[in-house]
Amino acid sequence: MPSTNTLAGLQIPAAKSGGRARLVTIFGRRDEEGRKRVHYIFDLGKPDYLEKIVDAEQPIPSIALSNPAACWHEREVHDQFGIVFTGSPDSRPLLFHDDWPAGAHPMLDGRAGGEPSPALPQSSQPTEYRFLKVLGAGIVEVPVGPVHAGIIEPGHFRFSVIGDTVLHLELRHFYTHKGTEKLFQGRPVMMGAMLAESVSGDNCFSHAVAFCQAVEVALGVSVPARAEALRLIGLELERLVFHIGDVGALCNDVGFAVPAARCAALKEDLLQASARWIGTRYWRAIAKPGGLRLDPGSATDFALSIDTTARKFEQLATAILETPSVQNRFDSAGILKRQVARDFAVVGPVARASGIDIDVRRDHPYGWYRQVAPKVSSIHYGDVTARARIRIQEAMESARLILETLRTLPQGEVSTCFEPKGRAPGHSAVESPRGELFYWVEVADGLVTRCHIKSPSFQNWPTLPFAVAGNVIADFPLVNKSFNLSYSGCDR
Amino acid sequence: MIVDALKKSLAAPKRLIPVAELLENCHGSRMPEVRPAGLTLDAAQLSAEVCPTTALAIEKHRDRLRLKLDYGKCIGCGQCIEAAPMAFGLAERFTRSGVSRAELIQSWDLADGTEIGSGVESVRTRIHKLMGKALNIRQLDAGSCNGCEVEITALTNPHYDLERFGIHFVASPKHADMLLVTGPITRNMAEAVRNTYHAVPEPKLVVAVGACGVSGGLFTPSHAVVGPVDTVIPVDGYIPGCPPTPAMLVAGILQVLEQYAGKPRRP
Repeated sequence: MPSTNTLAGLQIPAAKSGGRARLVTIFGRRDEEGRKRVHYIFDLGKPDYLEKIVDAEQPIPSIALSNPAACWHEREVHDQFGIVFTGSPDSRPLLFHDDWPAGAHPMLDGRAGGEPSPALPQSSQPTEYRFLKVLGAGIVEVPVGPVHAGIIEPGHFRFSVIGDTVLHLELRHFYTHKGTEKLFQGRPVMMGAMLAESVSGDNCFSHAVAFCQAVEVALGVSVPARAEALRLIGLELERLVFHIGDVGALCNDVGFAVPAARCAALKEDLLQASARWIGTRYWRAIAKPGGLRLDPGSATDFALSIDTTARKFEQLATAILETPSVQNRFDSAGILKRQVARDFAVVGPVARASGIDIDVRRDHPYGWYRQVAPKVSSIHYGDVTARARIRIQEAMESARLILETLRTLPQGEVSTCFEPKGRAPGHSAVESPRGELFYWVEVADGLVTRCHIKSPSFQNWPTLPFAVAGNVIADFPLVNKSFNLSYSGCDR
Repeated sequence: MIVDALKKSLAAPKRLIPVAELLENCHGSRMPEVRPAGLTLDAAQLSAEVCPTTALAIEKHRDRLRLKLDYGKCIGCGQCIEAAPMAFGLAERFTRSGVSRAELIQSWDLADGTEIGSGVESVRTRIHKLMGKALNIRQLDAGSCNGCEVEITALTNPHYDLERFGIHFVASPKHADMLLVTGPITRNMAEAVRNTYHAVPEPKLVVAVGACGVSGGLFTPSHAVVGPVDTVIPVDGYIPGCPPTPAMLVAGILQVLEQYAGKPRRP
């Protein structure tokens, strides 16, 4: 029932610490009767997330003015379901670009995601996206993208600069929007795991595990200890590979070629060790609801590779951070203030580099993280150096976790067989290398009926402009790299 | 300290992978291969049922049934191997990149397990006459999940070192000889893909990379996706895989180059 009571229920709850609760995600859904609903997920600083559901047949009030973190979520829910948020500070389309027909809301039609959707017609009157104009003497607009100079994903950046200094940056993304949430609908849970792997390829295992865990919660399936421990190894390996690659890429962006090549080689060493052990470089097609699809067996050589690579990386990272030319470029570049990070509910290494001490592995433990606790570090400077340091520390911690888990790897089965019966929702979060990755999945008789993905990139992208403003435009690639966000994970 | 560390890194042992080990090596890609000896009608039916992208399909040719394996659609999920381990195994050596889409497809007669030739002949003439000694590649993400991007980026690392073949990644399509296009083309990227294609000077090659680029992969039915790369721009070569490993990419790029010289030019 849409009543003032439900709307009053939208008051943002207080966290355990007394501050405002962190917004995790907002998403739309049609319930069993076909009514439009909006789900709000909050983190109150307790192990369980808080879920609030609001009927959205009628327009509902926007919370984006008091809680900027909600802005992109509300725009997405509007594009997908046509749900109106009154008083929204930004009602521009998010997912759909200029030529999409007005009034198209693809998640509203009842077709399952596996059935081909008819191509939406071209709009006869394409609307031009309204970028914020910065006016004044000497101010120049620099458009960049969607196609960038390099092996990178597509996205558009609109800079307003005066001289070399960036006054304002506006993002326009969703070039890689593939309607993935809709594609989940009507697919068997097994295929759902494959689709989850294709949301963001460089952290595909995090996506697969988050999806599988959500299905396991929905259906009450328990996972064998060995599978949980192996999942932890996969997740930490992903983080290790990711952070080593990132530190190398940061060196590359300041023209420090030798360490950049060394990091790339170390990353490749790990990927090849992984392929030798488990048959895949990025752990695709390994996770499935109920556990894992295979048991990789003895890990002696793999453990040795992890140990050697981590030692080499530690040495290299120390050398990098002590190099004056690196310090000169990294220090105080692209500062993300703690208040901005808090307002936009930023997650992951970016949050931890701006003094926000959150980590799903410790705050909402899942799987084998209930047995082995990661050491979480945070730094409050919020600049490129802080983000680089956080990545280095996390990489070393990941190596430690992998080796510790390998030493105490439980024996036994790696999967549980289960009958997917009944209709139930479930959610799960995973600390991916980019931060909190949240899946909300509803399963009915083995088929996915709704799957919502909150990727850390979606949450963090809106804060990049705050970190870039005031820097020279030539430092943008460096600052952007230090955030290292996924376009496809954001656009889905 | 710093100088020492850098010196040490320069003195690190050579890790460059020999060319012979790169070509036809697809370890880690999880691509299946057919074991004709174990290929029965039951095995073919089981595998075709579990295949999520219809890469495996049974078709009738005259009175006989054939199993068709389309590597362009395969995402390496391994379900066929699980369903029929006698008939499928993991491929270790593999060359299925090609100038025409048809070269990615193999079929077997299900009555006697013999492979049926596709009738597509490989043309092995050197590209150098056409392109000179070097090749400039512009990578274009048309909607990929970035799985292909991370593997393409790996080509420049010291293990693969693509530059040793005279192959170089460039920043502008105007400097490029080849477009390496990944991802199903999304509705939001289609215009940018066309513009990028037109910005590349002639003669140019376009290579579609990955299950999504070749066939649309899992994203085929989406309302937000236009289709595989060849629905939007002309394509000269296909490299399958989800994602293709760096070794498959090197082999694929070289193979497409070699085959292209013998192919009639686009009007």
